[in-house]
Amino acid sequence: MTRTWRILLVDDDVSIQRAVAPLLRSRGYHVDVVGTGHDAVKAVGDKKPDLIVLDLGLPDLEGVEVCRQMRQDTRAPIVILSARSGEAEKVAALDLGADDYVTKPFGPEELLARIRVALRRVSEAEAPTVELVQVGDITIDFPRHRVIRGADEVRLTPKEFDLLALLARNADRVLTHRAILTAIWGPNAVDQPEHLWVLMAQLRKKIEPDPATPRYLISEPWVGYRLVSMSAD
Amino acid sequence: MTATAAMGFLIVVLFVAATSPLWVAVVTSFAAVIAFNFFFLPPVGTLTIADPQNWVALVALLIVSLVGSNLSAVARARTQESEARRDELARLFDLSRDILLVTDSQAANASLAGFISRRFDLQYVAICMPHGSEWVVFEAGSNRVTLDPRDLSAAFQNLDGGRAPSIGESVRLTPLRLGTRPIGLLAVSGRPMESGTLDAVAGVAAIALERAQFLDDRKAADVARQSEALKSALLASLGHDLRTPLTAIRVAASNLQASWPDERERKEQSDLILTEVDRLTRLFQNILEMARIDAGAVTQNTRWVAPSEIIEAARSAVEPSLRGRPVQIAADVERLVRLDPRLTAAALSQLLENAAQYSPAGSPIDVHASVGDEGLTIAVRDRGPGVPEPDLPHVFERFHRGANAKGRRSGTGMGLAIARGVLAVERGQIAAENCPDGGARFTMTVPAEVK
Repeated sequence: MTRTWRILLVDDDVSIQRAVAPLLRSRGYHVDVVGTGHDAVKAVGDKKPDLIVLDLGLPDLEGVEVCRQMRQDTRAPIVILSARSGEAEKVAALDLGADDYVTKPFGPEELLARIRVALRRVSEAEAPTVELVQVGDITIDFPRHRVIRGADEVRLTPKEFDLLALLARNADRVLTHRAILTAIWGPNAVDQPEHLWVLMAQLRKKIEPDPATPRYLISEPWVGYRLVSMSAD
Repeated sequence: MTATAAMGFLIVVLFVAATSPLWVAVVTSFAAVIAFNFFFLPPVGTLTIADPQNWVALVALLIVSLVGSNLSAVARARTQESEARRDELARLFDLSRDILLVTDSQAANASLAGFISRRFDLQYVAICMPHGSEWVVFEAGSNRVTLDPRDLSAAFQNLDGGRAPSIGESVRLTPLRLGTRPIGLLAVSGRPMESGTLDAVAGVAAIALERAQFLDDRKAADVARQSEALKSALLASLGHDLRTPLTAIRVAASNLQASWPDERERKEQSDLILTEVDRLTRLFQNILEMARIDAGAVTQNTRWVAPSEIIEAARSAVEPSLRGRPVQIAADVERLVRLDPRLTAAALSQLLENAAQYSPAGSPIDVHASVGDEGLTIAVRDRGPGVPEPDLPHVFERFHRGANAKGRRSGTGMGLAIARGVLAVERGQIAAENCPDGGARFTMTVPAEVK
C-alpha cells in the first residue's frame, strides 16, 4: 500500500475511540477522531477523509442525518457502526449513501475487512474501468454480457446478468433490497421485493456450486445482498 | 243578609281546606252548613227550615264547600308530590355526584351502598352481586340485616316481571340492570320508598358499578401498557449499554493479543478493558438492585447511626465514578438517627454518581446533611448544567435520560430510579430542583428517630 488512507472515526463513546483508533493506526491508516455529528460533518470538509467510520447513536444528530449531510460533501465510503439491533435505521443509512455496516459488538477483523473492501472500491473507482471481473471461478465479461464458470459459459437472462453485474460492480459491499430493486426494475418496484427473491434464486441456481448454501451471492438478512469476491482474510 | 253569611261561611271553609287535610275541611263544611242553618235560616235557633228555597241555599253551600275542599286538597297533594319528587331528584343528583367523585374502583363498589344509605336516609342498603353460586354483598347503614344467599338467588332467578320480591317484611329488593341484563340486586330497608325511586336508585347504582368495572379495566390496561413500555425501555437500554462496552472490550482484548502495541499502548488497552468491565459491573448491579426493589426483596434493617458515617460509606462506594471530584461535606455531627444505613447510603451513592456524571471534571459536589424532627435530610448539589425544566418531573422515572444525557454512555437511566425505589422502602422521599446560582440539587429525606 503506497498511499496512506485517511479514516475519520465518528463515535461519541470514548472507550470505542480508545480501542478502535489505535487498531486502525496499527494498520497504517491515518485516523482522525470526532465525537459529535456536527464535528463529523465539519471534519469531512476539513480533513478530506478517504473513508468514514460512523456510529449511528450520536448525541447531537441522528446518524441517518449525519450520513445525509456528509454525502453532500464527500463520496468517501461510509462504514456504519450500529449498536441497534433494529434494522430500519441501518437500512435507511445505507439507502442514504452509507456503504457498509458492522453491528456492535464486532470484532476488530470484521471492521478491518469492511474497511479494506470499501477502500479497495475507492482504488478501483480511480482506476480505469474494468471489463472483466473474476469472482472465485466465475468470470464476468461486462462488454460482452457473458459469464464464464470454469470453462463453460453460463447462460443468463438479461435481468439475471443485470443483477450479477450490479452486485459484481459493488463486490463485497452490501446493497440494500431497495437499491437493487431500484437499479434493476426502477423506482416503482421497491415495494415488490418478491421480484428480487425470485431472480436471486434463479441466479443462484446458475452461478452457485451449491445454491442451497450460497458462497458468492450472500444474503444479509433484512438488509440486502452482497457478492463476496474475497476470502475472509 | 243570609247571602253575606253564606259567603262568610264559605270563606272559612275554603281557608280551612287550604291549610288542613281533606277530612278537616269536610267536617268544617258540614259544621258550616249546620251553623248557617241554625243561626241564619228562619226559623233562626232551630235546625228546621221553613222556606223550601232555603233548602236550595243550604245544599248549594254544602256542595260548594265540599268541592272547594276537595280541589284544595288535590292541589296540595300535587304540591307535596312535586316537592317529594324534587327531593328525590336532589338525592339522586347527590348520589351520582358522590359516585363520580370516587376514582378508585375498589373504593367505588364498597362505598356505593354507603352513599345510597346516606343520601336516602335508609337504615340498611346492600349491593348484592352474584359471583358464581355465592353472593358478594356490600352493605351499609345503621341496621344490619342478614341476607340469605338462597333468598337472593331465588329472587335473582325470578326477575322476569321486573320487580324482585321482598325478603321478610322489611327488605325490598330491586334488580340492578345494565341495559336489560340484570347484574345484581339492590336491597334496602328502613324507610318505605316508592318503586319509581327505587328503580332510579338502582339505575344509578348499576351505572356506578359499570363505571367501577370500567375504572378497573382502564387501570389494568394502564398497568399493562406501563410494564410493556418498561420492558421495551429496558431492552433498548440494555441493547445500547451492553453492546458498546462489549465492543470496546472485544477490540481492546484483540489489540492486546496483537503484536503491534508497545508497552504504553498495552497499558492503555488493558486500562480500557478494566474501565469497561467496571461499567458493565455497575450496569449489572443496577439491574439486580432494580429487580430486587421490584420484587420487594429489599427490606429495612435499622440501627442508630451518625449521618457522617452514611455519607462516608456512600462516597467510598462510588469513589471511582467521582474521578477526583471533591466531595464537600457539611453534616450535623451532634445527633444520631435510627434508620437503615445500608439503604440510605445506597440511595445517596446513586445521587453522588449522578452528580459526578452531570458535572464538569474536577468541580466540587456539595453534600449537606441535616437532622430534624422529621428525620435525616441529605442534599446533593452539583456544579453541572442543571436539569432541563421539562425533564424535572421525570428524572426519577426509570430509563428516563434527559436531553443532556443523550449520548452520555456512562449513564444507565436507572440510578435515580433506584434511589427513589430504595428510599420508598424506607418511606423516604426524594426531590430534584435547580439551584438559582446553577447546578442541580437532589434532596432526600428519610424519616427516622433522632437522638
